[in-house]
Amino acid sequence: MEATERQTKHRKTALALSLIPGFGQFYNKQLLKGFMFLILTVSFAVAFADLINIGLWGIVTLGEKLPRDHSIFLLTQGIIAVLVILIGLLIYFLNLRDAYLNGRNRDLGIPLNSVREQYRNVTEQGFPYLMLTPGFFLLIFVVIFPILFVILLSFTNYDLYHSPPANLVDWIGIQNYIDIFKLDIWRNTFIDVFSWTIVWTFVATTGQIAIGIFLAVLMNQKDLKFKGIFRTIFILPWAVPAFVSILVFAGMFNETFGAINNDILAAFGIDAIPWLTEPFWTKVALILIQFWLGFPFIFAMVTGVLQSIPEELYEAATVDGANIWQKFRGITLPMVLFAIAPILITQYTFNFNNFNVIYLFNGGGPAVSGQTAGSTDILISWIYKLTFTSAQYGKAAAITMILSAIVIGVALWQFRRTKSFQEEDMM
Amino acid sequence: MKRFFALFLTLVLAIGVLAACGPQNNQSSSNSNEGSSSEGDDANKPEKLVVWEDTDKGIALEPAIASFEEEYGIKVEFKELGMADKIREQIRLDGPAGTGPDVITLPHDQIGQAAVEGLISPIEVEQSVVDTFTESSIQAQNYEGKLYGLPKATETPVFVYNKELMDKAPETMDEVYDFSKEYTKDKNYGFLALWDNFYFANSVLAGYGGYVFERTDEGLDPQNLGLNNEGAVEGTQYIQKWYEEDLFPKGLIGENGGSTMDGLFNEGKAASVMTGPWSFQGYKDAGIDIGVAPMPKLPNGENFQTFIGVKGWHVSNFSENKEWATKLVEWISNAENAKIRYEKTGEIPPVKSLIEDPIIADNEAANAVAVQSSYGVPMPNIPEMAEVWEPAASALQLVATGKQEPKAALDEATKTIKSQIEQNHSN
Repeated sequence: MEATERQTKHRKTALALSLIPGFGQFYNKQLLKGFMFLILTVSFAVAFADLINIGLWGIVTLGEKLPRDHSIFLLTQGIIAVLVILIGLLIYFLNLRDAYLNGRNRDLGIPLNSVREQYRNVTEQGFPYLMLTPGFFLLIFVVIFPILFVILLSFTNYDLYHSPPANLVDWIGIQNYIDIFKLDIWRNTFIDVFSWTIVWTFVATTGQIAIGIFLAVLMNQKDLKFKGIFRTIFILPWAVPAFVSILVFAGMFNETFGAINNDILAAFGIDAIPWLTEPFWTKVALILIQFWLGFPFIFAMVTGVLQSIPEELYEAATVDGANIWQKFRGITLPMVLFAIAPILITQYTFNFNNFNVIYLFNGGGPAVSGQTAGSTDILISWIYKLTFTSAQYGKAAAITMILSAIVIGVALWQFRRTKSFQEEDMM
Repeated sequence: MKRFFALFLTLVLAIGVLAACGPQNNQSSSNSNEGSSSEGDDANKPEKLVVWEDTDKGIALEPAIASFEEEYGIKVEFKELGMADKIREQIRLDGPAGTGPDVITLPHDQIGQAAVEGLISPIEVEQSVVDTFTESSIQAQNYEGKLYGLPKATETPVFVYNKELMDKAPETMDEVYDFSKEYTKDKNYGFLALWDNFYFANSVLAGYGGYVFERTDEGLDPQNLGLNNEGAVEGTQYIQKWYEEDLFPKGLIGENGGSTMDGLFNEGKAASVMTGPWSFQGYKDAGIDIGVAPMPKLPNGENFQTFIGVKGWHVSNFSENKEWATKLVEWISNAENAKIRYEKTGEIPPVKSLIEDPIIADNEAANAVAVQSSYGVPMPNIPEMAEVWEPAASALQLVATGKQEPKAALDEATKTIKSQIEQNHSN
């Protein structure tokens, strides 16, 4: 064996020949495979030459001449070109690898697979890959592509005065990011909006989770009658489309005509509260509404988890003399959190970007003087205002990037800390 | 040897790709000519023209199109799209792709932005054609000294009253105030207006001498703001009075004020409101016997300078038959077709001869809108206006809720607007 390895250098020759796809396979006397690689490469080059040519030129220059060049179309074409090139490189790499591996097999004196064996290899071992490929390609263009687009957009000066077809868009590096922090009005607004976003996320989400778990545990008491009815009622807020609930709430919270001030608070002798015109009370109202909208989901999920906690644990705890609170702290809560922790994290990220409730309730208002955002605007609704009223697409993309970085960062950190992903089994 | 050959081939390929980078230049010149090559004489007559009309308004377009087809032998197709946002969004994509329309309709406050973006093209028509329209409506169609379209319909807020609760329309706001003082109690209101919304409030500010942008010979000057001048402050103080004395309820303030006001008027709890023609049908459907009049005179003897909204016909910048598209625009907006439009949709075309026509002069509502239009100013159509709405509304809201005094609020708003204009519109 060792002797043959030293004598022949099939792997190197095959690898070198494979620089032109297929030739290495020809050298390895695998004609069919070789032809497939060759045809694939040629057709790839012929089919995509134009796209790659224009695309690469476009993504670098973003167009040079009006009205021929449309910067945004060129940008998209460029991204597609890069993606296509990456796919091409992947195929090219597979070709090199195949030639090298088969060359090595020849060096080692291992017989190569026949066509029939190759076919079986593909259909049997490669089957999952074969099935995944269409979905994967779809994913690249439906998910990866827009993400790349936003990332790149945040480095351009795309706004009203640099928008095609009348004007070209240019690369401006990280100027947008600098502006957000440098220009007074932007920085002040950003910091205010950002801090409210954080408060909103934590208070609203933690509250809805706490209420959900509390009600689920309450509903799970063995001697409770009419469980079905109660559960149905608690699920109802979830069954009503959120935007309908929010609009109804917006009416109910109306300072002069709303049911909350006129009927509910008046019944307790409390004076009318300026729900929609005073920032503090608007924030309170928003958080209360989010409790209402968010808890049924947690409630339903926790109810499911509670069914699966073995009764023996509680019995053992009772024998040991634990009280209800100790049982809850020691058994119920850890078991529940263990099971639903990943979903709780998604609840936080969801509220971080909860556009609906902010926008529909009071449009981010009430107003704050000297700012481009209202006092209850969260980052996502502020971005909406930026893009749709001021046409600051580049800046909005930059803020979107910051926002995504935060969400992804927190989510990753949390996921890694969560027990659900570390231990196989809790029991 | 083989290996060397392979390397050589790769090199050749790579150079080939790089050398051909970017679009060929001769291709571009043929492209840019396309627009101008269709200077229309009969030989260049297009087969068809495409029009994008507002939703549910096509009924008024059909007869105009039929007569145009008969006259010129050019087929005209139309498609209905939401005018406020859909048309602009759609033409951004369809225009460059070559599948766009030749003629579109837009609210005139979008003209500046559409022109900057290169979505619509200036048109050239005979002075005699221009003279058939009212001066303010033509002003609305001008941007940077060029005519960008012909007016199709106009609207402006007017005084609407419930005939059961108010005998006749008052002549002055002082009368309205006295009536309101007496009538407003137990959640019944004499007069309601959304004066925390700059669209409506500006009519008061402007009536006292405020203005948004100064109108010069070349159009509006975005550097010269009149939002915190003496007149504007005086106007805002007048607005403040209505809120301070609780003649306007606190619940009317904010995002949902419009639906609250309509609700109160529909229930017969508001004797009169300030609103636009778009509300008339809803009130009639609610069974209210409405009377419509021009806005009563302000306490200083001036008329309300309401914002006029002018919907216009524009030629798409992507059209390959601009000459013929312009002819079509002239045709569908001429006096004859404007009259048909009024009859079919109730929209009021700002055609001089039509306004004096008994068909409008004898119709109370249409006449009120037409008369009020003659006092009004067109909403600024320059893109800088986008920066005005939010800060101005914030200032009014802060005044309405009693958080800031008029002068301070307007100064603050002006500062914000100025810095926003500087940042977003300086290039």
